Amino acid sequence: MARESAANSDLVSRRKIILTTGAAGAAALAGCSSGDGGGDSDDGSDSGSDSGSSSDSSSDTGSDNENTDGSQSGSMDTSVLTADGSSTVYPITNTGGSYWNSNPEAGDEDYWPNSWAQEEYDTQMRLADFFAQDYGYEATEERSNPPFRASIALSHSGTGVEGVMEERIDIGDSSAPAEAELAGTGAGEETLNNFVDHVVGVDGQPIVVSREIADAGVEQITIEELRGIYRQEITNWSEVGGPDRDILALGRSAGSGTDTAFRANVYGDPEASISPDQRFGQNQQLQQAVTQADNAIAYIALAFVEPDGGTPPIGLEIDGTLYEYGKNLGAQDYPLSRDLHAYTWEDTSRKEACFINFLLSDFGQEIFVAGNNYFKLPQDRLETQREMVAASNYE
Amino acid sequence: MSGTIQRRIQAVRAWIDATIAAIVTWFRELPDRIRDFLDRTPADAQAILLVGFVSFAAAAYFFWRSPGQAATPLALFAGATAVGWIRHRGRTAKALTMLASVVTVAILLLIISFLVLHSRDAFEHMGAELLWRLEPPFWEAPSPDGTYSLTPLMVGTALTTVIATMIAAPLGIAGAVFISEMAPRSVREVVKPGIELLAGIPSITYGFVGLTIVNQYFYTEFQTPTIASYFAAGVMIGLMALPTVVSVAEDALASVPESMKSGSLAMGSTEWQTTKSVTIPAAFSGVSAAVLLGVGRAMGETMAATVMLSHTKGMPDPFFDVFSRYGETLTTVIASEAPNAIGGMHESVLFAAGVVLFVSVMLLSIMAQYVEWRMHRKLGGQQ
Repeated sequence: MARESAANSDLVSRRKIILTTGAAGAAALAGCSSGDGGGDSDDGSDSGSDSGSSSDSSSDTGSDNENTDGSQSGSMDTSVLTADGSSTVYPITNTGGSYWNSNPEAGDEDYWPNSWAQEEYDTQMRLADFFAQDYGYEATEERSNPPFRASIALSHSGTGVEGVMEERIDIGDSSAPAEAELAGTGAGEETLNNFVDHVVGVDGQPIVVSREIADAGVEQITIEELRGIYRQEITNWSEVGGPDRDILALGRSAGSGTDTAFRANVYGDPEASISPDQRFGQNQQLQQAVTQADNAIAYIALAFVEPDGGTPPIGLEIDGTLYEYGKNLGAQDYPLSRDLHAYTWEDTSRKEACFINFLLSDFGQEIFVAGNNYFKLPQDRLETQREMVAASNYE
Repeated sequence: MSGTIQRRIQAVRAWIDATIAAIVTWFRELPDRIRDFLDRTPADAQAILLVGFVSFAAAAYFFWRSPGQAATPLALFAGATAVGWIRHRGRTAKALTMLASVVTVAILLLIISFLVLHSRDAFEHMGAELLWRLEPPFWEAPSPDGTYSLTPLMVGTALTTVIATMIAAPLGIAGAVFISEMAPRSVREVVKPGIELLAGIPSITYGFVGLTIVNQYFYTEFQTPTIASYFAAGVMIGLMALPTVVSVAEDALASVPESMKSGSLAMGSTEWQTTKSVTIPAAFSGVSAAVLLGVGRAMGETMAATVMLSHTKGMPDPFFDVFSRYGETLTTVIASEAPNAIGGMHESVLFAAGVVLFVSVMLLSIMAQYVEWRMHRKLGGQQ
């Protein structure tokens, strides 16, 4: 995709900026220039610190690409990989991190079953060992002892973006693009260009209605009707083919990530003004309200949809395409879908790439993304994302 | 009447003059007092005090600037305190208690200045419209240059507070009269602690009951436009403010001197006549203070209101329509939107809501204290 390849070319120019501005330490600079002189490959590898300072764990972004080929095992960065941020992305990275840290043996039927290890990957290696080997990490062959540990914290998208920017953490989880999260802070183009965007999954929010409305025959609405409902221009269900009953339009907290995404995607403007009848801070409250009411409409996270219970989903029609629960809500054109980001800062280090690639693997997508009620990346996007962190970039 | 007002104004003027005079005198005498203090304090005590205060100030400064370095001055302060405690116990105790009060006041000042500083952007951006605007849009969050107005939130706070007061004041006063004047001793001993226990129930508990039962009741039975209303929230907040009103009003009624009641009874009044015509009028200031304190509590209540209101901002039509689809107060907007407002105008407006709330609650408690002070003066300070 054009966007990703542009991002890739960004990596190169960015590294040059780092080199010229001397963001890296003097020693790293020396290493870099010699590496460049040797005709180093042009990809964004920066993980291994030079052998003299391998104990320095926090500044892996500062040192640059001097590991030209082979024999890096002595200088591999095996410090703890840290991530923090959005509670929406957290289930994916955290489940991934838990599996990773446990490093189960092939054939552990709960965590690394033979149906995956042998049939899909044809390996006898432990989980983390297997996925780390391509990046030059040596297998530990021990349970609970992965090649490097992953520690995943939980907060908000803004906190994650800020944390990765200030280099407190390696990976910043965010359910909204970094530019949206930093919109109020006056961060410039230069700052935003330093973020490397890895999309690890897609969240799609179905439109749900109260049981009574679904039973009365409302199965789908158009995007125009949805816009009208959330602007109080359509206030009765009979206007969209339902019973003669007021519409109770439910939304999320003003200014929250979900609210902003809704306005941006449905109305085309993140600052569009909407006036739902009632706003809630959490999906749980929303689910309860839709269940309690007999005239409500809401958009809600996938995990809270109950097709046969109190929150039945309905379809959304856009330009003749019908988006339905269980079919195509992960499509990029569905307005209530959003990418789940795992940001890195100033290129992606070997360690970060290794972990993100783990999340992007077929195993990761199935277990951590689909397993947590999110949508797997469609195949074409998955390929582009994998290329960004491919092990071949780090050889 | 005008004579009374003039007398009041004169009294206030005299009070201001006296205060200024006291401050001027204090500063004029300051050098003398310092000299006097130095004369009376042994050299080693002076040194300990100096080390203590300087190290405390340094610890505070480092704690702010680089917390890692605060340990050394803090240890020095602890050392100075320990030495002082052994050698000059009285003086050290005096200095420590003084330090504690200074810190308390300093924290208050810091909070106020923090609030005001952070809300400045909002006031500069919106001007008077931040406080008074009757036309939508009221709230274009999180846009940095959108329109923001606190007016609908102030209306929301006013509506819930008025409803809460209408519940808490009559019930609270009636309860206080019963407990203080009518109930037999055995009943009073059970009911009074019970009511004080009521004040200890966490507000989210009230909110949860309100959310699942009261809101739902109004929605299904009376078809309120949303599963939330100012009325339902106001009722719940009123119940929460009830214990405050009862216990303060009861104290006021109990502080009416027994001699006044006995006198009334001796003149042949019945107990009810005594209560109605002697006790309640005598304790009127205290009972008003109780209601005002209850109002302050209702106004600042956050948790229950946050889960019970609809969080949409707008002017009900008419403005006192407590069953409209709108529902947001000064407190709930902060609680529900602060996690999403990182920096920028949105956050500043929330701080402005905090300032408005702070000022209103402060005015209320000053009013309550003034009323209480008058009561003590009127009844000769018998408690």
